[in-house]
Amino acid sequence: MSETSSEEARRLAQGARDRVRFEEDALALADQVYRVARGVSRSKDEAEDLMQETYARAFRSWRSFTPGTNLRAWLLRILTNLNIDRGRRAQRTPDSQPLEEGDYFLYNRLEAASGETEEERVLERLSQDHVAEALAAVPHDFRDVLVLVDIGEFSYADAAQILDIPIGTVMSRLHRGRRILKKELAELAVEAQ
Amino acid sequence: MSEVDPRECDWCEEVLQPYLDRDLTEADRIKVTAHLTKCKWCDDRYKFEGDFRRLVRQVVIEPMDPALKAKLSELRLEL
Repeated sequence: MSETSSEEARRLAQGARDRVRFEEDALALADQVYRVARGVSRSKDEAEDLMQETYARAFRSWRSFTPGTNLRAWLLRILTNLNIDRGRRAQRTPDSQPLEEGDYFLYNRLEAASGETEEERVLERLSQDHVAEALAAVPHDFRDVLVLVDIGEFSYADAAQILDIPIGTVMSRLHRGRRILKKELAELAVEAQ
Repeated sequence: MSEVDPRECDWCEEVLQPYLDRDLTEADRIKVTAHLTKCKWCDDRYKFEGDFRRLVRQVVIEPMDPALKAKLSELRLEL
């Protein structure tokens, strides 16, 4: 084997090793990525489709990932972009949203509807099913930020990087998103009583 | 418990989220903490907000289906 061809063989072998390592690292993060996929999707089936599209694209584009940077954020950026591509953001835009209620709104509604005055008892009026249903009703722009920060536990800076929006927008969408979530939840939880 | 100015409660509601996010100035943070100490009405809502955040964090608890994990592995490119 000539020197050039053995160098080429070494380069190819190294490339294959890098790719396998990338794939293994990406698969090791699948549970965490799924958590976000499930949060931004309306159903388990939709989340599973989104996961498969995300991983198929990630495996094809592995060379564009810079080793040593945040792989979880990189994968979630693909996921959120695919989610946008599905056209879901066209549903409702932030500007057309009605004004949400204040931060005490949910507590006040639950307290009034139940007659309970102790905080623990008021909280008991909420179920995880209600939260999941209310989250699904939050418009996507707000829900993406809520899911990344409040469920995925990403920092504002990471969420801004993943969604490709300014950090100030992350904060304002989070603020409004939490209020919209509480308003939706108040309706669901009070109706259920 | 001493009488609380309702305007302070309105202000407390406005800054509750940044307070929980530890995103307030030190002076405002001290002011909110002092308000919560003397106002049970706001303190209940503050505690509720913390518990509510924990509830939201736990909402996606269903683990990923092992069959999906196998499907993702199959998407790996051939060597």
